[in-house]
Amino acid sequence: MMIGIPRSLLHLEFNGTLARYLQALDIPTMLSPATDRGIFRLGKRLVLDELCLPIKVFMGHMAWLAEQSVDRILIPVIVAHENNRVFPCHMRTRLADMAIALGVCTKERILSPAFRFTASGLARDGFDVLAHSLGVSAQESAAALLTASTREVKAVPTGTHGSGNLTLAILGHRYVVEDSWINGFIIDKLRGLGCSVHTQCLPAESGYCPDGTGLHFDLAARTLTMARIWDLDHSIDGIIFLLPFNCGPDGDIARHMVETTNKPIMTLVLDEHQSSAGMLTRLEAFVDLLAAESMAQGAPFL
Amino acid sequence: MRHFTFSWGTNYIAVRGLLKALGQDLATPPAINTSIIEQGIHAAHPFLCFSGKLVLGQLHEQIRQGEQRMVFMSSLGPEACRCADTSEYMTSLFGPECPGFSSHRIGGDGVGSALENLRSHFGQQVRKSQCVRAYAMFFGKVDVLDKIAKSCTRMRCLSSGPSLVQALETEALSRTDRADSLFALWRTSRWLDRAIAKLPRRSRLPALRIGVVGGEHILSELGTIMQKLRHLADQGILLDWRGGFRQLARADERRLAPLKRSCSTYLQEPASTSEIFSCAHALDFIHEGYDGLLHVYAFGCMPQTSLKPILQRIAQDSHIPLLSLAIGERFTEEGLDNRLEAFVDLLSLRKNTDRESPNE
Repeated sequence: MMIGIPRSLLHLEFNGTLARYLQALDIPTMLSPATDRGIFRLGKRLVLDELCLPIKVFMGHMAWLAEQSVDRILIPVIVAHENNRVFPCHMRTRLADMAIALGVCTKERILSPAFRFTASGLARDGFDVLAHSLGVSAQESAAALLTASTREVKAVPTGTHGSGNLTLAILGHRYVVEDSWINGFIIDKLRGLGCSVHTQCLPAESGYCPDGTGLHFDLAARTLTMARIWDLDHSIDGIIFLLPFNCGPDGDIARHMVETTNKPIMTLVLDEHQSSAGMLTRLEAFVDLLAAESMAQGAPFL
Repeated sequence: MRHFTFSWGTNYIAVRGLLKALGQDLATPPAINTSIIEQGIHAAHPFLCFSGKLVLGQLHEQIRQGEQRMVFMSSLGPEACRCADTSEYMTSLFGPECPGFSSHRIGGDGVGSALENLRSHFGQQVRKSQCVRAYAMFFGKVDVLDKIAKSCTRMRCLSSGPSLVQALETEALSRTDRADSLFALWRTSRWLDRAIAKLPRRSRLPALRIGVVGGEHILSELGTIMQKLRHLADQGILLDWRGGFRQLARADERRLAPLKRSCSTYLQEPASTSEIFSCAHALDFIHEGYDGLLHVYAFGCMPQTSLKPILQRIAQDSHIPLLSLAIGERFTEEGLDNRLEAFVDLLSLRKNTDRESPNE
């Protein structure tokens, strides 16, 4: 049995854990390709304009997989943190229902086990449910989960990119920061401007359920926590906050976060209409501003 | 001591009932108008839902008028929305410009947490018996307000005296606000039943029956946004909606279980209460032979936006017309009128066609 996994939202958010888990069980998997305009258009044709940009991209990946020779498509349902006080946004819990309602694929073809999450990733009980539905024993599941977790530690793809004099941190949801098409290839653009780029390494920094923000939505809590961590990090000169169009949780905290962060911070709203030239101009302006500030403090930029 | 909150239609009356039972008072929130909407837009991030903008606009206006002690009812847990973040969010928004500003959630998930939340705002002197009495008044008023909204909307369709219905509604709201005991509330409810029974009736049956589902806040705004929809009732169209603030306030696992079962074909766990209500009620309306469905929600509302494709699928599967109305800051009354007129024309045409060729 071949299982398809959309290379989007939950796959990126949880660092590919589910794909590695299935591979450790020797179950053939097919990841959809990296997002491009073709994938996006597939999704855009299906979903409502009001939905956020990552959902449109996700549905594109779903539609691509539905056309392939995969037997099932895995869309885990993320329920809540184990403490039942922090929750995913409604869109991310409704992915499977939306895919079925939009006619992307049939209910029978979707695998949608429910997962809770912990500070370090997906909770084990969801894997047990998935294993049961695949006819895998609890022992095999536990061994595969251990293998997947071990590989995860070795394969964290984020961190510092490049070695410029200015270091900029990219703040935002992991599925936005790691999806180059959604974020307009921002890491390449900043490196082209001579900057080092720092991205979040989960779960080492904020974790999946940071304490102390008092926020209801997990993503907003992670974003705010990372902003607080990077605000105190002397190696970071400025922060770029990537806000996908119509993201409710991050939209709610955007103003508060910007007003309470001491480091220079720029918010880039990402949508399907963004132009590469417009984004580059804004990035250049931000980098120029930081460079000028850096020179005023006696440290040459170039 | 006087407090302030946002309106959610007439439901501030229930919050005032709760506060009065504790010897406190609540300012009447300003009615929603262009100025309130503008203030909300100014205070909010563009991605906040329209309901949130209305709330912020009302709060901002009251702070401008000198109010300081804000209270709000909201739930926590999977059914909650952004309202769960309200306390910190409001303080971050209004704290800097209003030094005496305080914001407290007075709702609770059970008596224990409700008492704890009340004490966080009013002090440790609040006794458990006071808390129980205050919440009895709150829920009593929520029930009567819900009854007024729905029965008066129904009577606007069934009665030949719409102005009498409007006067009755105003008087019923006033009596509910003044009621200071559960007995007085019971009397108000009985008075409403008798007054409705005396209203003159139209000779014809309703031309159409439309089931309304959607976001509870928007459905509660009877005097503003829902006013437009209620004009349909004046045209002899029966409008029915079963969700609202009362259903949210009274939602618990026992009440939700049968609704969850009924919509399990379309909605997986975990679903928020708002999604469950909208989905289950839409299915109920279809089974009961309603002519069409109206889905009304605030633009940017996350639960209702994620539900929209599911309602569209339900409507397709059941061959029933569905009109989704996203109410946002750019909605115009003329645009809304046009869309509603077109929808009603479509339903009428469809009904007449069915009547003329019943076997097809």
